[in-house]
Amino acid sequence: MKEMTQIQDVSRFDRIIDRYERSEESLLAILQDFQREFHYVPEEGIRRLSEVMGVPASKIYAMGTFYKALSLTPRGRHTIKVCTGTACHLKGAPQILETLERELRVKRNGTTEDGEFTLECVNCVGACAMAPVTLVDEVYHGKTRPSKVMDIVRKQVEG
Amino acid sequence: MEKISVVIDGRTFEAEKDTCVLEVARRNGIYIPSLCYNSEVTSSGGSCRVCLVEAHQGGRMRLVTSCNYPVRKGLEVKTDTPLVHRIRRGVLELLLARVPDSEVIREMAAAEGVTEVRFRKDEGENERYKCIACALCVNVCAEVVGVHAIAMVERGADKKPATPYNKPSDVCIGCGACAYACPTGAIELKEKDGVRRIWHKDFKMVRCSVCGTPYIPEAQVDWIVSKTGKDRSFFDKCPDHRF
Repeated sequence: MKEMTQIQDVSRFDRIIDRYERSEESLLAILQDFQREFHYVPEEGIRRLSEVMGVPASKIYAMGTFYKALSLTPRGRHTIKVCTGTACHLKGAPQILETLERELRVKRNGTTEDGEFTLECVNCVGACAMAPVTLVDEVYHGKTRPSKVMDIVRKQVEG
Repeated sequence: MEKISVVIDGRTFEAEKDTCVLEVARRNGIYIPSLCYNSEVTSSGGSCRVCLVEAHQGGRMRLVTSCNYPVRKGLEVKTDTPLVHRIRRGVLELLLARVPDSEVIREMAAAEGVTEVRFRKDEGENERYKCIACALCVNVCAEVVGVHAIAMVERGADKKPATPYNKPSDVCIGCGACAYACPTGAIELKEKDGVRRIWHKDFKMVRCSVCGTPYIPEAQVDWIVSKTGKDRSFFDKCPDHRF
């Protein structure tokens, strides 16, 4: 986790920034790429982006706080989202969440100490027919059971 | 500019097309309360909703914010109707719930007869204590000062003006224009022993060579000099002793 909070090498940011046009419209796409690459939007990244694009850091920071898809604090290499919308809630999402919290030793909306997983609750992923739904990174797993959820996670992560 | 006539509260006024209703009313001595609008800041207005008025045009009526509603031919405005007051009372009640500690809001609400709120009050434990999130400070910093030190961060009920990461800003010049413009006095600006503190940052002040009063942050002098090319020695004396 330590090395993730301090990214000194600006070339890692520049490589991403260089893929885009030098215009304000590119900002969000670049921030999304930062998010994908570093699993969060680092402060140094925002400062560098501001410098290169000539856009005030305050504006870019404001964007970072606005979009749910961007995180300003370091996140795990894998994100597990447990849907806690109405249908999933009734179909046992709370038990799935508790199982993951216990097995991964992490609180909801927190990141494990080894930086491997971030556990999140989301309010509805629009797949209520598959309730309860658990997302591991971008993959949807329907009709998950507390007894099976850790297997699903391990299987997918270990590939 | 094209001159047109507009009717406000039954009186007819001449005004330049596209001037905002609030501006025309004020120039002619008609009072409309407002918070987030500043006539010197083009990007201000439209967020506090206090300046609502009835706009009658083409046989239809709409409630509009007078600070950003342009006067056009055939427009008739009513600022003092039961509907305007009822809606404004609602707006003020919500603002009062949000910032119960702001004297400005309390006074403005009391003037409309609102002293109690039916909503859960936001008790001030954070920096948006008196802040109504109108973004006038942000607009002033960007448009008038031109440094973009602050922006509106977070969203929804948490929205507030802030520097990146709530840290001392690299670009803030400590001019205090944001604090001056803030309609509710929500931005803290402290001065002690020739040092000004604003947005978590300390600024060394330049002292007037005549009276010794610390009157302008060094960083602001640097900014003005770099922008205008004005001679630095101009700032040796405060405005009271300059000429």
